[in-house]
Amino acid sequence: MAALTPYTYIRCPCSDVSAPGRPLDGSSPMAAAADDNGAGDDDDRTFDPRAPRSNYSLYPLEYLLYCEDCHQIRCPRCVAEEIVSYYCPNCLFEVPSSNLKSEGNRCTRSCFQCPVCLGPLAVTSLETKPDPSLLAAPDNAAAPHAGPYALTCSYCHWTSAEVGIQFEKPNGIHAQLAKLRNGGATRLTAKERKERRKDPAYRTQAAAAPAPATAGGEEGGPSSSAEVLDLETQFANLKAFYQGQLADPNSADSGLAALSDLGFSSPTSLSRIMSIYTGGGWQDKKAKSRVGAMREALEPDEGLQPARLDESAAIDRLRSEGHGATASAAQLRDQPPNLGEAHLHGRARFASELRPIPYLLRTKRSKRCPVCRHIISKPEAKVQTTRFRIRLVAGSYIPSIAVRPLPLSSSSSSGSGGSASGPAVVPGALLEPLRPAHYLLTFKNPIFEPVRVTLGAPARTPGRFASKVTVLCPEFEIDANTDVWDEALKESGERDRDKDRRRRRGEEGGGQSSSNNPHHSQLEVGKIWERGRNWVSIVVEVVPASLRLAPGDPPLREDEDVLEIPMFVRVEWEGEAGGDDVGAAAGRDAAKEAREKRELAYWCVLGLGRIKQT
Amino acid sequence: MSAPAGSAPLPHRSVANIRSPPGAGHHPSGPSTPLRPIPSNFGSPSSLRADEEIIIVEFGTRKLQVGFSGDPAPRGCVWFGPDQQRRVGDFREWQTDYRYDWRRAARHGDSWGRDHELWQYDVRGVDLGLVGDKIERALSEAFTKYLLIDSRPRRMVWVLPSSLPIPLLSAALDSVFSRFQPPTVSLLSSPIALAVGAGVRSALVVDLGWSETIVTSVYEYREVAAKRSIRGGRMLVEQTHKLLAKHLPEDQGGSESKQEYVLSFEECSDITTRMVWCRPRQHSDDDQPASGSLPTVQEHDDAEQPGDSPTPGRTSTVTIPLKSWLSPTSLELPFNALSEPCEDAFFDSHYSHTSFDDHELPLPLLVYRSLLQLPVDVRALCMSRIIFTGGCSNVLGLRGRIFDEVSELVRERGWDPVQGKGVEQLRANPKLKRRGVRQTGESPMGVSSPPGDGEEQDGVWHDAANTAPEADPIEEQLQRGMDRRPRVQGELRAIESLGAWSGASLVTHLKAPAVAAIDREVWLQHGAAGAVRASDVDYKAQRQSLGAGGLMRGSAAGSAWTLGVWGAV
Ligand SMILES: [Zn+2]
Ligand SMILES: [Zn+2]
Ligand SMILES: [Zn+2]
Ligand SMILES: [Zn+2]
Repeated sequence: MAALTPYTYIRCPCSDVSAPGRPLDGSSPMAAAADDNGAGDDDDRTFDPRAPRSNYSLYPLEYLLYCEDCHQIRCPRCVAEEIVSYYCPNCLFEVPSSNLKSEGNRCTRSCFQCPVCLGPLAVTSLETKPDPSLLAAPDNAAAPHAGPYALTCSYCHWTSAEVGIQFEKPNGIHAQLAKLRNGGATRLTAKERKERRKDPAYRTQAAAAPAPATAGGEEGGPSSSAEVLDLETQFANLKAFYQGQLADPNSADSGLAALSDLGFSSPTSLSRIMSIYTGGGWQDKKAKSRVGAMREALEPDEGLQPARLDESAAIDRLRSEGHGATASAAQLRDQPPNLGEAHLHGRARFASELRPIPYLLRTKRSKRCPVCRHIISKPEAKVQTTRFRIRLVAGSYIPSIAVRPLPLSSSSSSGSGGSASGPAVVPGALLEPLRPAHYLLTFKNPIFEPVRVTLGAPARTPGRFASKVTVLCPEFEIDANTDVWDEALKESGERDRDKDRRRRRGEEGGGQSSSNNPHHSQLEVGKIWERGRNWVSIVVEVVPASLRLAPGDPPLREDEDVLEIPMFVRVEWEGEAGGDDVGAAAGRDAAKEAREKRELAYWCVLGLGRIKQT
Repeated sequence: MSAPAGSAPLPHRSVANIRSPPGAGHHPSGPSTPLRPIPSNFGSPSSLRADEEIIIVEFGTRKLQVGFSGDPAPRGCVWFGPDQQRRVGDFREWQTDYRYDWRRAARHGDSWGRDHELWQYDVRGVDLGLVGDKIERALSEAFTKYLLIDSRPRRMVWVLPSSLPIPLLSAALDSVFSRFQPPTVSLLSSPIALAVGAGVRSALVVDLGWSETIVTSVYEYREVAAKRSIRGGRMLVEQTHKLLAKHLPEDQGGSESKQEYVLSFEECSDITTRMVWCRPRQHSDDDQPASGSLPTVQEHDDAEQPGDSPTPGRTSTVTIPLKSWLSPTSLELPFNALSEPCEDAFFDSHYSHTSFDDHELPLPLLVYRSLLQLPVDVRALCMSRIIFTGGCSNVLGLRGRIFDEVSELVRERGWDPVQGKGVEQLRANPKLKRRGVRQTGESPMGVSSPPGDGEEQDGVWHDAANTAPEADPIEEQLQRGMDRRPRVQGELRAIESLGAWSGASLVTHLKAPAVAAIDREVWLQHGAAGAVRASDVDYKAQRQSLGAGGLMRGSAAGSAWTLGVWGAV
C-alpha cells in the first residue's frame, strides 16, 4: 500500500445549506432522503468524511477563498464568477466574447489536439521534414515549405494524412478542415447547400436520382449527399420548416402561439387522446380543429430523414479490420460534435474517422462573494500572465493545520509504556490496529489578531471501522501573526521567549506541570504541546480500529483503511468592525470601541495514515 | 413505485404563482431574494445579457449533454464516473502508479459499473443528496469547460426521460435551483423532443437506453403509451463481460477468490462500444415475403449464418487486448462470438415469446406489443415513424435487426391482440394477410398511402371490441382542410431524429412553451409538494389510464403548476 502523507481537507460551510432553502417537511422526498442517509448537514451531527457526499464539499485549503466583509470561507461552489477574458490555451490569443456565439467554444485558428493522444498537433509540410520553427509557430504564414500540409502529433506520430486530410495552406486550418471530410472529400457548408438546392439545375438532377431506400447502404458521396442530411443541415431544414409552418397564414392560428396549442402544453390535446381511449366525443371541438394545423415534415428539404438501417458494410469492416482499427470510447468522447456527419448513428467508430480536435477555449474569471458582491479574486486581464490583481486566499485568514506523527518512542521510550507507539514514528508507516498512536497538529495563525481555537472531534470516527480519537487540548489561543521585523527583534531574546513559552504552556492547561519530562507532561489532557510566535501544537491520540472483516462483510472500499478524523474547528477573534457597519463619521478614537467579536466555524478532515490490515 | 418507502403521497396543494406563456410573467431575471441566507450566485449586470441564452440540459443515466438553445448540437457532454466523484485536489488518477481498484468497488453490492451512473430508477436506498451533488458538479464542469459561461442565472430547459421518478427529479431541481439559480427550469420529455427533432408529430420512439429500453408512442406530440424492458445497455455490457470471461483461462486463485467480475466495467464498456455487433435476422423457410422487403439486409443475412465466413479464405477472428484482467493479456475470439452479447441481451430467441415477463420482453416483441396496444389510427401513424435512439442504437446492426424482426412479427401475426394456435392457423390463411407490410424502401417519404389505407391494412384489429370510433367527421374535415399532403402511414418505416437534445433546442428556439415550467421561487418554497398532479391541472380524469400521459404546463386558470408526467407520485 502506498505511503500516505497526512493531509487536511476543509469543508466549506456553504455545504450546510446545500439542502434546499425551504422548510423540510415530512412529505417532501428530500426530507425523507436526508433522514435516510444522514450526511450530517448540521453541526449537531458528526460530519462523516466517508459519506459519498463529503467528496463534494471538502477542499484543500489552497482551493478556498475568503470574503473579508462577510468573514466567511468561499469555496468554488459558493462564489459568483464573471468572465474576464476568453482565450485559447494553445495560441494564447484572446477571443472576443462576441465570437463565442457565432464561432463556438473552440479555437478557430490552427490549434488542434491529437485525436489519439490529445497532444498538440503541428502543421507540417508533407513534402519535406517538419521544420522545428514551424512546429513552434503553427500559424506562421510565411512557411517556407510548399504544400500540401498535414496536422501531425509529435508524441504518437499520428498525422491527419493518415485519415486522408491534407491542407493546401499552412494557416487557417480550422476553416479548411471544416470543408473536408475524412478521406479528403470536400463537404459543402450549410450555406453552400442552401444555395445549391435553390439552383434549378441541381434540383432536377436530384429529383432524377433514385430516392434512397430505407435500408439502402448508400455511401455518402458528394453527389448523393443532398439526400443524406448531415446534422447541421437537418437541423437547419427542420428549423426553416417549423418556422414556415408557424408563419403560414393558412394555419388556424398564425404565429408562434399556434405551436403551443398544437400539443406541447394544451389541455385540449389531452382530452383528444382521452376520447380516443374512452371512445367518447371530443371535449372541445373548436380547440380540436386547430390540431393538425401544422403538418409534419415530409421530405429531406423539410428535415425528414429516413433511417438507413443497413450497417452491414460497417460490420464487414469491423470483421476485417478488428479491434485495432476502432477508436476507443475515450477517444470518441473527446471528439467534438461533428455537425458535418450524416447522423448520430453514423458517428465515428473507426480510428480513421477521428478528426483533429480544435482546442477548447478557456476563460479567466474573477470571483465575487455571492452575498456582499465584493470581489475576492481577480486575475490580470492579460492572457499571458497567471498573476492576480486581487486574490483573497483563505490561507491568509484561517489557521492552517499541519499534521505529523509524534515520535514519542524516541524521546520517551521508557516509562510511557503502551502509549508510545513505534510504527507511527516513520512517516507514512502503517498504523497498528488497536495500538494508541499520537499525532501532532500544528495550528498556524495567519492574521494579525490573536485567535481562540476550539476543537471538537467525535470520540469514535464514523463509518464501519470506528477508531478512538482523543484531542488532548481542544481549546487554546494562538498569538497574532506579528510583523516579520517585529519577530526579528524578538530573536535576540530567544531564551526568554523560550522560557515564556514554557510558562504559558503550563498556565494554559490550568495547572502546573508536575513532571520534569516535558514531553510526557504534554500528553496530559488540556495541555498544549508547543507554542511559537503564531502557532500552537497539540496532540491527538488515536487508537486505530481493527480492519478485520466478519465473514460476509463486503471488503474494504478504496481508502477505507485510511484513518480520517472529522474535526469541528471554531475560531474566534476580535477584529475591527467592518466599514459597512460603522458610520462613516466614526473617527480613529471610536475604532477601538468598534472592535467586534468574530467567529468562524467549519468542519475539517484530518487524514492521519493507513491502518495495517491484518 | 417512485416514492421513497414510508413517505406519504404528496398533497395536492395549489400555489398561486405559475409560469405564464413565454415572455410574459415569468420571474424577471436578476437578483432574487433567497428565502434562507444561502449564498446565491446571481451576478452583476453586464453588457452581455445572460437571459438571452437558454441552457438546454439532457439528462441521461450516464451522461449530461449541455448546450445553448438554437444550436444544432450540444456543446459539451459530461460522463459520470468514479473520477468525477473524488474530492477536489485529489489527483490520484493522474499518478502513474495509481489504478482504480474496480475489483474492490465491484464487491460492494452490485456496484460494478454503478459508479458510472448518475442514478438508478429504483430510488430505494438512493442517496438523493448525492444525486444532486453529482448533477451540480457535472453541470459546473459543463458550464466552465464547454459553455464558457459565468454564474449569472439563466433559464434552463431540461430534457428528461418521462419515466424519471419524482424523487430524482426533485433532487435534481433542489440542487440546480440552489446552486445555479435559474429563474425557471422547464421540463420536456425526451420522446416529444425526439419527435420534434425528426420533424414528425407522431412517432414510436424506441429508446435503447442504458438501464432499460423504453418504447414510447407519441401521438400529436403526446406520449400516449410507454412500454419498457430491462434489456438495455447495462445488460449488454454485462453480457459482453460474460462472453470475455468465458474465453479467459480459469481463475488461478481457486475457490477463495470467487470473483463475480474478472474484468473492469470500463474495459467491458469500451469493448462493447468498439466491437459488439448484432447479427441480422435469421430467417426461416416460410419467410419468403419478408426477404423482399429489406433486400440489402437479407443479402447480408446469408453471409452471416453461423460457421460461414463472409469472405472465403479469411479466418474471422479478432484479437482484443485486455488490461484489467489479472495480468494484461490479449484474447482471440471468433468475430461471430462478438454478436452473442447482443443476442442474449436483446433477443433471447431460444426462449418462447410467452416465457417472458412484461418487464423483460425481447426488444422486437416489446416494439410489436407497443404498436399492438395502440388504437388503429395512432398505430398507423406511429409504425411509419419509428425513431431509434439511446446509446445502444449505435450497436452495429441492432436497429436493422429489430426492425426486421418487428416486420416479421407483423407479417406473422397482424394486429390481433389475441394470440394462440387457433388464431395463428386462421391467420395462416393468405387472404387475411394479403397486404402484409408494405415494402419500406418503396416510398420512404412524400408518397404515401391514402388515409383509409392504414385502416384497411389493419383489418384484423378493427374487429377487436375496443377499437376507436372508425370515422370522425371532424377528423376527416381536419385532414382535408389542413393537411392536404397525405401522411405516410400503415407501413413500417424508421426515421432519424436529430436527437432529444437538438429537438429540445428547436422547441425552445421556436419559443414553444415547455411541458412543465418551474419557477425557482415557488420551488424553493414548496418543492415537489407544491406541484399539482398533471391531471388536476389539466383534465379531471385519471391520468393513470394514459400510461405516461399528459404533458402540460398549467391550467387555463393559471392557478396551479405541475411537473407534468413526472408529477405522478
Ligand atoms: Zn462554499
Ligand atoms: Zn488557438
Ligand atoms: Zn498523438
Ligand atoms: Zn461577502
